[in-house]
Amino acid sequence: MIDAKRLQILTEAARFDVSCSSSGSARKNAGGMGNGYAAGLCHSFTPDGRCVSLLKILMSNDCVFACKYCMNRCDLDVPRASATPEEIAELTTDFYKRNYIEGLFLSSAIVKSPNYTMELLLRTVKLLRQTYRFFGYIHVKGIPYADDGLVEEAARYADRMSFNIELPSEKSLKLLAPQKSKEGLLVPMRTLEKKREIFREERPKELFLPAGQTTQLIVGATPETDGAIVRLSERLYRGAKLKRVYYSSYLPMVHDSLLPDRPAGQLREHRLYQADWLLRFYGFTADEIAPEGENLPLDIDPKCAWALRNLQYFPVEVNRAPLELLLRVPGVGGRSADKILKAQRYTRLTFDDLKKMRVVLKRARHFLTADGKYYGAKDLQTVRGLLAVAEQSGTCEQLSLFDHATAYSALTGEF
Amino acid sequence: MIYFTDGTKESFLTAFLAAYSDDEAYITSSQAQLALGQKSVFVGANPARAARAEQRLLSFDKDCIEELTMLLRSGEPEREQLAFGYLKFLSEERRPVRGMLAKSEVLAAQECLARVTREIHRLHGFVRFLECESGALYAPIVPKADICDLLVPHFQKRLQGIPFVLHDVPRKKAAVCDGKRCFAAPLEQAQIVLSASETQWQQLWRKYYQSVNLPSREKLKQIRGNMPVRYWRVLTELH
Ligand code: SF4
Repeated sequence: MIDAKRLQILTEAARFDVSCSSSGSARKNAGGMGNGYAAGLCHSFTPDGRCVSLLKILMSNDCVFACKYCMNRCDLDVPRASATPEEIAELTTDFYKRNYIEGLFLSSAIVKSPNYTMELLLRTVKLLRQTYRFFGYIHVKGIPYADDGLVEEAARYADRMSFNIELPSEKSLKLLAPQKSKEGLLVPMRTLEKKREIFREERPKELFLPAGQTTQLIVGATPETDGAIVRLSERLYRGAKLKRVYYSSYLPMVHDSLLPDRPAGQLREHRLYQADWLLRFYGFTADEIAPEGENLPLDIDPKCAWALRNLQYFPVEVNRAPLELLLRVPGVGGRSADKILKAQRYTRLTFDDLKKMRVVLKRARHFLTADGKYYGAKDLQTVRGLLAVAEQSGTCEQLSLFDHATAYSALTGEF
Repeated sequence: MIYFTDGTKESFLTAFLAAYSDDEAYITSSQAQLALGQKSVFVGANPARAARAEQRLLSFDKDCIEELTMLLRSGEPEREQLAFGYLKFLSEERRPVRGMLAKSEVLAAQECLARVTREIHRLHGFVRFLECESGALYAPIVPKADICDLLVPHFQKRLQGIPFVLHDVPRKKAAVCDGKRCFAAPLEQAQIVLSASETQWQQLWRKYYQSVNLPSREKLKQIRGNMPVRYWRVLTELH
């Protein structure tokens, strides 16, 4: 059994990976313990509001690289620890059996060399699947510059893999993570995705990363704008076919003259998650969300900002609007749109009906008519002011409204 | 008139027929609803009448009895009245009405159903098993709805072959899986002997829970929304 001290070091160092989701895999229990839960499942919430779904742990924090923002960099004098594949496998299955977790998120600092590290990760997942007969969720970090063969073999046992880009531009990477390069991170992602495609077509019965790939970007450590970040995410979703891009607002853990001393605001991170949601589910393009060189406004959400720039589409009549258009109305999310479409079939909806159906109208009323009636403000200036007020009073309420499907990440940004 | 039922589906369906044409009807299984001066009647289960009501309702909507069962499981004080409003409207319309969300009776019932479904989903995550000396797993739970048995399939698939018990502590009953068969049983208080390593695993889990937190970002309000306080009692990491 791993001791508490090492557990603490190896998990404290892993918590900066914000990816928490256990969704996307319906792996079956093939005569052992565990299975996938396609919608993902939260097992607890920590006081910082994040969902605990996976056991997030590093194999080791003893790194040979020196990325400036990282606590594990080789030139720092911090306590170092490592765990063996057996210790991780035992910990995972014993936590899983007690229903503490949905599975494992296994990462590592680069010990000795990329290949040495990737081999350790591979040995651990193989041990779990083959010896421990564990079929719960496994997310494995891809180690940049490790051989393709090792990465691909790990992908045959894992549900999801991720290479973290961390810094949103080549320039920032050069400056802050001199041993990494954008291509060094993007190429293995593309290779894996191609392999996934081949498996899907030629060997559909065999699992190869059923939950796909994700990545993470640190926001606020470097000067990239939200416009540039949203464009990068769009390319990652549409080009590299990633399942999720996570955003992590910068928290200074080590002092370095090249890095800001203060943490980046969490509101900015929240806005990026909202923009991400627009990209993934509401059919927006990065161009619509934010100009390349600009940041997202902080006082109103990105959908409101888009609507104010595109008043020619509004107001929308709820009784006639198709789903795509309803989803573009500020304040109307997937669930409200769904309710409206269902109820539309039986009756001509009025504002009163919408209220009764608990569609939140604080923002939406400026962009909707119901049965021909409009209850919004008359001019643009007033609308913007009211939206900002609605935003201030609404943020907390909105976060607590997340339902089970989205609660696994209060960070997702649905709105 | 207040119609008291014994809490079962049959008693409810019998009361449903009796109350159908009474515009002032209020159906409940909770004695707390008794107000002075109001007329009331107790309606026990009449199997023949209940079956007739069920057939009739099913002819309008084949899924409505399943919904009724879930509403009655919800544990909410207004559950019978909520089901009454919904099923009465269904009988007037003579067709499925669950999409008519602008009708308050429908919305109320659908929202209640959604709360039960959500609780089942949440509890899949918020159950904490203790390992007993025999290797069997035991979890005390405190669900709002009466759903102990509905949690079983999820854990049965995962734990293949490991015996486990889900103990609904306030309702004093349990769902038991002995590794092969599953059944429900009344259970007042469980006598368990923990396995030798159980406490150590619990300590490691608490340590993990503390280690992943980012102390600079407390958001307690949000946590209460995502992890209601009623479940905290059994969450190992919080004690
Ligand atoms: S390679 Fe990873 S662990 Fe090592 S210093 Fe860079 S970010 Fe930190």
